[in-house]
Amino acid sequence: MSAAYQHLALAEVMPGMILSDELLDRQGQVLLPKGAVLTAKTIALLPSHGIDMLAVLRRDGSAAASQSDPASVQRRQDKLFRKYDPDNIDDWATGMLRRYILDYRLDRESAP
Amino acid sequence: MSTVALDDVVKNLEDLPSLPAVVMELLTCIDQDDADISVLAKKVSHDSALTAKTLRLANSSLYGLQVKVTTIQQAITFLGFQTTRNLITAAAVTGCFAEGRCQGFDDKAFWRHSIASAACCKVIARRVRFNQDYAFTAGLLHDIGRLVLVSTYPAEYTAAMAYRRLHDSEVLDAEQAVMGVDHVQAGMALAEHWNFSETMRLAIAHHHDPDAPGAGLLASIVHVANAIVHALDIAKDDHELVPPVSRSAWTALGLHEEAWRHVFRETELQFEEIALILMG
Repeated sequence: MSAAYQHLALAEVMPGMILSDELLDRQGQVLLPKGAVLTAKTIALLPSHGIDMLAVLRRDGSAAASQSDPASVQRRQDKLFRKYDPDNIDDWATGMLRRYILDYRLDRESAP
Repeated sequence: MSTVALDDVVKNLEDLPSLPAVVMELLTCIDQDDADISVLAKKVSHDSALTAKTLRLANSSLYGLQVKVTTIQQAITFLGFQTTRNLITAAAVTGCFAEGRCQGFDDKAFWRHSIASAACCKVIARRVRFNQDYAFTAGLLHDIGRLVLVSTYPAEYTAAMAYRRLHDSEVLDAEQAVMGVDHVQAGMALAEHWNFSETMRLAIAHHHDPDAPGAGLLASIVHVANAIVHALDIAKDDHELVPPVSRSAWTALGLHEEAWRHVFRETELQFEEIALILMG
């Protein structure tokens, strides 16, 4: 299972990453449980607890690479939703999913 | 190519790989919450591969356990009987069908889609306060009928998948057009044969039409999760296509954009971890 984890310096840790183990402070107190999803707020608090590295679940490298360029993200989404017709007002639920997924893909791209 | 009668599919279920006896037993006693835990733990422990997979699932971040469980008995103590039973079922089902028997069918993509759907259903269920164990299992098994068709009619299924590529149609329509039966019917037949609970049968039966009367909330969860996983492009299928999302299913879940984004993110992250365990 060790291939599923990676140790990252705090500067490389991003919101949305998942702790692969419980996180202890210098006194050995549990700061965060294993499996916690890191938020920007939590990450900002970690230096004050003396944390400068942590172990998170490894992300899929190929997925990250294919999302590198907003235009290609848009093209792929257009292809996935190729049967969706924006003019069909009855199909608004598919339209909402499409918009949310696209926002999600592009937003994460602009994250630090 | 001649079409297949549903009766023949049902007859051939006997020839399908069977689940380990202990898993069959778990499925039949689904309504007995007081099933004798130590007897169960002992039986499962005889199957070391099954035990190992189950324990890895129990120790994954899905369940956020503070302690590492090392026996089935411990898993039951910390996670409860229901959850452990579902983990055992998931571990058993994913190893039970032979791969690579049908040319036009990508087993890996199938399991990637099923596992991601399971993760997504669980995440949504937590949001809408539905039983997360049911949701996980229903997500994992919603397309199990495809494996039934692939195992019993590999040549016909290859033709159906060729039709799908040629006409850029959905899997269900391609199956109907070429074979005359589809994976929903085959899945229903298997669910009966394997003694799945009524809740699970309804979810398998209605994941493509959650608006049907009596379909239930679980069918809506599986329906939307299925569309999300297609849209997240997790199966890595060249012909990936997002099916239409039912308005009433979408509305029934009642989540706002921020919640959906959280569902997307958690689905992707949890998928990676579970796939390592179940497909490893």
